[in-house]
Amino acid sequence: MSLASAPSVAAKSPGSASVLGGALQNLTGLRILLPFAVLVAVWWAIKAGGDFPDNLLVSPLQAWNAFVLLVSHGVIAEYASTSLTMLGIAAFVSLAVGVPIGFVVGVNRYAAHALEGFLRFLQGISGIAWLPLAIIWFGFSHTTTLVIVIYTLIVPILFNTMVGVRAIPESYALALRSLGASRLRLVVDVYLPGALPSIVVGLRLGMGYGWRALIAAEMLVRKGGLGDLIFGARTFGQIDRIMVGMIVIGCLYIVVDRLIIQPIENLTVARWGLLRK
Amino acid sequence: MTAEKIVVSKFRHFFETADGPVQATDTVDLAIRAGEFVTLVGPSGCGKTTLLKAIAGFIRPTEGTIECDGKPVRGPGRDRGVVFQEFAILPWRTVRRNISHGLEIGRVPRQRREKIVTRLIELTGLAGFEHRYPHELSGGMRQRVAVARTWAADPDVILMDEPFAAVDAMTRLTLQEELARLSAATRKTVFFITHSVDEAVFLGDRVLVMTRHPGKIKAVIDVPGRASGRDWESFKVDPGMLAIVEQVLRLVREERGAAAPSAADAQRAEARA
Repeated sequence: MSLASAPSVAAKSPGSASVLGGALQNLTGLRILLPFAVLVAVWWAIKAGGDFPDNLLVSPLQAWNAFVLLVSHGVIAEYASTSLTMLGIAAFVSLAVGVPIGFVVGVNRYAAHALEGFLRFLQGISGIAWLPLAIIWFGFSHTTTLVIVIYTLIVPILFNTMVGVRAIPESYALALRSLGASRLRLVVDVYLPGALPSIVVGLRLGMGYGWRALIAAEMLVRKGGLGDLIFGARTFGQIDRIMVGMIVIGCLYIVVDRLIIQPIENLTVARWGLLRK
Repeated sequence: MTAEKIVVSKFRHFFETADGPVQATDTVDLAIRAGEFVTLVGPSGCGKTTLLKAIAGFIRPTEGTIECDGKPVRGPGRDRGVVFQEFAILPWRTVRRNISHGLEIGRVPRQRREKIVTRLIELTGLAGFEHRYPHELSGGMRQRVAVARTWAADPDVILMDEPFAAVDAMTRLTLQEELARLSAATRKTVFFITHSVDEAVFLGDRVLVMTRHPGKIKAVIDVPGRASGRDWESFKVDPGMLAIVEQVLRLVREERGAAAPSAADAQRAEARA
C-alpha cells in the first residue's frame, strides 16, 4: 500500500517545490528590478514636475515610443550588433594574446617583477587616451576602435593571468612532476585551471572597461555602434534617441555579463570551490 | 643483505639569499634499504624538508650526492612519489581523477587504471566520495586522496613530508594506522618526516633523529616488529615500544633544550624550505 502511494508523492513533491522556488525567484527578481523602477519614477516626476522642453528631457513614455520605433526599423539591432561584434572580437584577441603572455611572465619571477610597474603605467593611460594617436595611424575606422578596445581589455587579462599563475601553490606542480608530468602536462593540468579563477576575474573587469572604451571610441570614430548612435542623435537634438541608446548600452552589458561570463564561472571556478568574492 | 634503495652521501645544502648563502643542513649520510620504512624526526628548521626535497629531486644538493638504485638523482621522477603536508591534490579534479592522475600521465590503459584506482579508493576508505571535489572533503579525506594518488602511480620510493600535521588529532591516529597497513601490504620503501616522536616510532622500522639547525643525523634507533602490524591500542601498552619512544624523546629534547645560537638562521632556512 505505502509502496504504491510513494511514487505519486515523489512525483508531486518536485512540482510543489518548483512552484515555491518559482515564487522565491520572482521575489529576488523584483528586488533586482526595484532600483530601476525608482529611477524611472524619479525621472518621470522630474519631467512632470519641472518645466523641461522635449529638447532637454523626454518622459519615460516618450523614450519607450522612441525605443519601439528604433527597434521596428531595425536601427537598434544594427548598431548594437556592430558594438557587440567589436567587443567579441576584442575579447577573443585579448584572451588569445593576453593569457599566453600572462603565463610566460607569471612563471618567471623576475619578469613578473619587472613588468608590474610597467603594467600599472599602462593602466593609467586609458584606452581613450590612445584615440588621438590611433586616429592618426588608422584613420576613422573599425581598426582604430578595435585597437582601443583590445588595449583596454588586454591589460587586466594579462595582469590577472600573471597574478593567477603566481598564486598557484608550488606543491601542485612539484607533486605532478613526481608523478612524471611533462612541462606541457603541467601547463594543461595545473597552470591553466589554476589560473582560471583569476583569468575570469580579468575577463570580467576587462569586459567592463572594454565596453565603456568601445562606446567612447565609437562616438569619435563614427562608423556605427551604439556610441555612434547616441552621438549622432545629439547633432539633431534627439534626446529620446540618446536616452534609449544609453539604456540599451547598460542593458546589453548586463546581458553580456550574465549570459557569457557567469556561466563560465559556474561551470568551472564555482564547482571547484575556488570562487573569489 | 637487502639492496640499498636510497643512498645519501656527504650531503650538505646551502640556500642562496640576498644576504649570502644560508646553511640548511650539516653533512648528512644515510641509506634506506628497499622495503624499509624510515622515519626522520627533528626540531623545526633543522633541514629535514630540505633533505626530502633533495631526495625528491626538487633541489640540487650544494655538496654530496644522492643516489636512487645506484643512479644519481637528477630531478623529480616517477620512481619517487611525494606526499606533501599541504594536501597538494588538485581542486579542479574529482577524487577519482586525482587518484588516477599519475596513471594518466604514465599512459596506463583505461581499464587497468580504473581497477587500480577502485582498489585504492577502497583501501583508503574513500568509497562513496569518488566524484566529489576536494573542497567538499575534510582535511583527513583530502590527505587520503593525496596518499592514494601517490600509491596508485606505484613508485619504488614514497617520500612523505609531515603528511598528517595539518589534520585533527583523532583523524591523525586513523590515518597513521591506515598508512601502517597500506605500507606493510604493498612493501613500499617509505621515507617519512615528522616532528612527532610517537608517530616516528609507531610507523618506522628505523627512526632517525636529526640535530637542531643546521641538522645532521644524530642517532639511528631500530624499532622491531613492524612486519607483524601495528595499531595504537597495543602500541600504547607495549613496554618495549614505550621505552623506544622515551629514548627518542630524550634525544629530541636535548636538541630542543639547547639554546640555538643560530635561531635566526634556522628560521630563515625554515622559510626557504
